[in-house]
Amino acid sequence: MGEKYSDLEKLKNETLNCTMCGFCKNVCPVFLDVGWDTGSPRGRMTMAYGLITGELEPDDDLVNRIFQCTQCRDCWRRCPGKTKCPDVVLAARRELVRRGKTSASQMAVMQNIRNTGNIFADLEVEFPIQEGDAPLFIGCQHLSRTNSTKKNIRLLQSLGVSPRIVREVCCGFPLEVMGFEEEREKQVEKLKEAFPVNDNTILTFCPGCKVHLEKIFGREVRHVLQEINERLAPDKIAKPVNAKITYHDPCDLSRGAKTTKEPREILKKIGCEIIEMKHVKESSRCCGGGGGILTWDAAMSDRLGLARMEEAIATGAEMLVTACPTCEQSLKKAARAAADKSGAKPMPVYHIMDLLFRAVR
Amino acid sequence: MELAEKRAGADSINAIRAIVGDERIRTAKADLYVYGFDAGMHCNIPDAVVRPRTAEEISQILKLANERNFAVVPRGAGTALCGHAIPIAGGVVLDLQGMNRIKEINPGDLLCVAEPGVVCDDLNAALKKYRFFIPGPASSEAATIGGMAATNASGDKALKYGAMRDYVLGMQAVMPTGEIVRFGTRTLKNASGYQMEKLFIGMEGTLGIITEITLKMAPLPEKTAACIAAFKELVEAGQTVSDIIAAPIFPAQLEIMSDICVKAVNKATGLGLPECGGFLLIACDGHPEQVKDEIRKVKEICEKNKAFFLDFTEDPKRIEELWKGRKQMLASLSVLKPEFSTIMLADDMAVPISKVPDAVKGFLEIQDKYDIYIPPYGHAGDGNLHTKVLLDTENPDHWHQAEKAVREIYDLVLRLGGTVTGEHGVAISKAEYFFIERADSIPFMRAIKRALDPNNILNPYKIFDWDKSFLHNLRYPVQLAGKEKAN
Repeated sequence: MGEKYSDLEKLKNETLNCTMCGFCKNVCPVFLDVGWDTGSPRGRMTMAYGLITGELEPDDDLVNRIFQCTQCRDCWRRCPGKTKCPDVVLAARRELVRRGKTSASQMAVMQNIRNTGNIFADLEVEFPIQEGDAPLFIGCQHLSRTNSTKKNIRLLQSLGVSPRIVREVCCGFPLEVMGFEEEREKQVEKLKEAFPVNDNTILTFCPGCKVHLEKIFGREVRHVLQEINERLAPDKIAKPVNAKITYHDPCDLSRGAKTTKEPREILKKIGCEIIEMKHVKESSRCCGGGGGILTWDAAMSDRLGLARMEEAIATGAEMLVTACPTCEQSLKKAARAAADKSGAKPMPVYHIMDLLFRAVR
Repeated sequence: MELAEKRAGADSINAIRAIVGDERIRTAKADLYVYGFDAGMHCNIPDAVVRPRTAEEISQILKLANERNFAVVPRGAGTALCGHAIPIAGGVVLDLQGMNRIKEINPGDLLCVAEPGVVCDDLNAALKKYRFFIPGPASSEAATIGGMAATNASGDKALKYGAMRDYVLGMQAVMPTGEIVRFGTRTLKNASGYQMEKLFIGMEGTLGIITEITLKMAPLPEKTAACIAAFKELVEAGQTVSDIIAAPIFPAQLEIMSDICVKAVNKATGLGLPECGGFLLIACDGHPEQVKDEIRKVKEICEKNKAFFLDFTEDPKRIEELWKGRKQMLASLSVLKPEFSTIMLADDMAVPISKVPDAVKGFLEIQDKYDIYIPPYGHAGDGNLHTKVLLDTENPDHWHQAEKAVREIYDLVLRLGGTVTGEHGVAISKAEYFFIERADSIPFMRAIKRALDPNNILNPYKIFDWDKSFLHNLRYPVQLAGKEKAN
């Protein structure tokens, strides 16, 4: 036996119960990109098993494969035995980080959060602080887009939501996916202090924050689209969008939060015709921005984004709409890459909230 | 046969690197470790993993292997269940997943041509546009057609549609000594000498490496309907199977499940199947009138055999759900008993169809005798039955109990005139019992192997050359006295 991996050891049965059927392989964007079994969920389960038994050392190749996972969780969706492959990867990352196995760029993100409470270390963040009923968690990504965030808040207010906004700090989700467990725990404490909740429904703009906040508070946190869909009556639509669009389901919203119906209903209400991509809803593919891949392997992130964008372009839709700021960013980059490749104009990419703001009076 | 390591040294690895380039060879420990496992219960670590793109590259590697005496083990998706892709003597694993082009779909000639790394479901997605398909195994969403051909894979449609052997018309292959050859034809039949392409079906990567396959296609049926039937006793379900075939009715699929299997599928998939001692899932396909008639007769036979629950559906979505549930059986069993693992033991015996009731009854008696979980299920319509053993993989006593139970299962199967493997193959895990079943033909199989692979470099020590128990080279963390890893 090699050194003890106590955190990973707790998931040993998951690695033993993986029947190695391989159904996870062809849904994994990383495996489809790299081709080697080491890049597949099944491969990562095997490597985790090797670490537990001491048959493998955490060398650079293993570390790279463990951190290449986008945490899209499509392997978990497809796994007939519901083996917790994404959790095994996260446990492996925690173990590796404890042993100093991380990257300079991921360390930088961690330090940003630790030192400033913001993923971008943005000290100029303008918090639209206000009193209200529903605790609204904006999230670092949306906070960095001051103007659109103000519009989003106005939109919620126009639909009768009374958001309470405070000087929040990062929820710690990026720390979780990058394996910085101790820092995540500290960040969660800071968050609870900065973002006190009441009995009212907690709302958030960000799919990743939604999933993580639910874990922290142990109760339902609503993505704003769930709230908006319930409140969006036909008489609220002043200027229908009238466009053929395709919708990209963010992993944390579709597989994480099981929210695939609401964005589609909203898009239809504001006059969009949806042309679906090949992989949609619970089977959606990663945009290339998830699970820390953006900071771990930027080139792979770009390739995954391009693959997803090409799927979107193949629909013939006029534009791509999504509901996650990270997906939006990755796919905008991918749209430019696809345009460079084909010589055509980049496919426009919008956050659903931007379209909503335009459509709602 | 004494197992001698056939390792690829640094010089050999460098020579392979010169053939395929740096990007398509891996020697990192993590890669070697991962490619030391497949979907079976064994493991052993190779010296290199290579992703060739052409028959020419494979030819050069095999010639090198003969010169330098290292083993070469071809591998598709690594979904085989008996240790086929385990590099048991070390050497080089050839990962063929990158050779995945569909080269031709020719409805007029009723054939398609594809490289070995094409995933079965991807091929069927392409064939669907032309209203054709090839029947695949339960692992069709991951399994590659090269691996399917090399193992004579089949699945739940074998009763009506046959196995891989019935679809391979021809192939390009690289012989163990490096020659690139074409076997078979582009015609639906041929009588031109030995049908080497058929010999290569089920050879488990020991006689050559398939680099292109020409497959016959089956027409997609116009209509499919499914019937589910629940029985108090598993033997009643088994008798129903035999009566359906004797009627004669050839359902497209005719699956049997024991009580534990039904519970496992319900728990894993939420399908809500009625809990019972024996369960049948039956599908009929073809012309709508024929389907209607067959389903009516099937229902009558089920009623005669005391089915207490009968349901029928033509809804494609429900039919898909039902079969998805069945296809997930293997993993579903691991959900039922999370403290145990599902082990590929006694996993695909076949018996004459009329012996299905005797076989399932016997399996249940063996289960009770050894007090371990051996839930029977399978493609009962063609006599192909599965069991999986659920055990604590770290408990040596469980393994020894399993060994005894498995031996009794195979003894029973052979007494009933069956075979130890209907669709998964032999490789490592069935070899011990295969020796009993095929005692008189093994010398002739060996003679073919020795003639084609004189230096024994291609997937060595498998089938008739594995003379140890299945308890060697286990991938699980258990110490079994005298059963240590072979190398």
